[in-house]
Amino acid sequence: MQNTWPYINGAYGVTTIFLVAAAWLTFARYRRALARLRQAETQ
Amino acid sequence: MLKPKRRRLYLVIVSGLCLSAAVGLTLAAFSSSLTYFLSPRQVAAQHPAPGMSFRLGGIVQAGTVQTTLAGQTPTTHFAVTDGRAAVPVVFTGVLPDLFREGQGVVAIGAMSGDGVFHADEVLAKHGAAYMPKDVEQSLKEAGKWDPKFGPPPPASTWNDMKVGS
Amino acid sequence: MNENVLSRAVPAKTSGWLHYFANPGRFLRFVQPILPWAAGVSLILTLAGLVWGYQFAPADWEQGDAARIMYVHVPAAWVAMSGYAMLAVCSLFSIVWRHPLADIAAEEIGPIGAGFTFVCLVSGSLWGKPMWGAYWVWDARLTSVLVLFFLYLGHIALIRAFDNKTHGYRAAAILALAGAINLPIIVYSVQWWNTLHQGNTISLAGGAKIYMTMLYPLLISTLGFYLSFLTMVCARVAAAVCERKTASALLAAAERG
Repeated sequence: MQNTWPYINGAYGVTTIFLVAAAWLTFARYRRALARLRQAETQ
Repeated sequence: MLKPKRRRLYLVIVSGLCLSAAVGLTLAAFSSSLTYFLSPRQVAAQHPAPGMSFRLGGIVQAGTVQTTLAGQTPTTHFAVTDGRAAVPVVFTGVLPDLFREGQGVVAIGAMSGDGVFHADEVLAKHGAAYMPKDVEQSLKEAGKWDPKFGPPPPASTWNDMKVGS
Repeated sequence: MNENVLSRAVPAKTSGWLHYFANPGRFLRFVQPILPWAAGVSLILTLAGLVWGYQFAPADWEQGDAARIMYVHVPAAWVAMSGYAMLAVCSLFSIVWRHPLADIAAEEIGPIGAGFTFVCLVSGSLWGKPMWGAYWVWDARLTSVLVLFFLYLGHIALIRAFDNKTHGYRAAAILALAGAINLPIIVYSVQWWNTLHQGNTISLAGGAKIYMTMLYPLLISTLGFYLSFLTMVCARVAAAVCERKTASALLAAAERG
């Protein structure tokens, strides 16, 4: 049986990178949107 | 006079029905070319012309696998079956890891004049059943299933079975 | 401009629970306190499912360790299809009832759904090479999921392609509704045609063809993926609502001079 771990690691790697990147971008956008709204309302 | 919302809803429903009908008819018309492979029964019924390339799919029949070595490259003779018909296949080259008796395979190649399918490539198609090795072993020992002869018994008889350890 | 997105949302005569939650301001008040908790639970469940599948689930009798790819591939595929179903429902509300929140949700579901579809395609391809002997084949299942990916990409592009946002929302909603016909094709492709892709392991009819020690991590990981998807979509919709509020507040301030 050939070594399948490089393929498994690749699949889990792509998944992890996507989840972390998407979560981080979402969080950053959410925080920025809230901060700007607060700033606009206090002006 | 209908309210605009109602009118839009009916419009969407009617468009959806028309689109479904169109797509359904198209898929039914192209059904044969959407099929990735022919089963041995279809091959027996349709008699594809020798030399015409197509894909043959089915189970490797138990007791038919014979490998001969000519120099470095092995040549394997086996039969692909769907339980009703069987087609003899010959393949020169290294087979996939999962190839074994009872394994689902898809062979790409063409029939030759003598009724043997000459495969250029063999892909493994395995079943949809997932179980650890020890569950398979105990099913085998209990005489409930031998992977050589096709797919496992109904899932409810083994998917929460206790395995002695 | 943008401020009408908010003012239009206040239901004048219309009533019912649908309209109640379709109000962007109310959505914001409802979702904001939940978001941190949802994010925490999603993180824990996803991490647990992935670690369980990668490290602790048993190897398959036939596929060996390569079966571990199932714990990312299958949840990603389910979320990709459910995400598209949500997109289609939002589009229906956008076209028929002109709900502004449905437009915003459709715009924000697209990129996340496309990401999950991409994960599904790549993980399946990485599994196909050692198991089938090919990264890609043009069978009905693989092709219909690739079509799903392109539908997502088309929707993402179309909804942002117009100077007048409302035109983009209408055009993209029509695309999303027409593309929904692809969902039953994906699900039943393995039954309607001979495919190299295996049949459904888990279906509504009949027992799951999977041993319980492999089913549990699959369920945990599925739950984690679904919650992650919902949390990300809700956070993006909340951010979009805030961005629109900011724009209209700045506009009002500019008009006051």
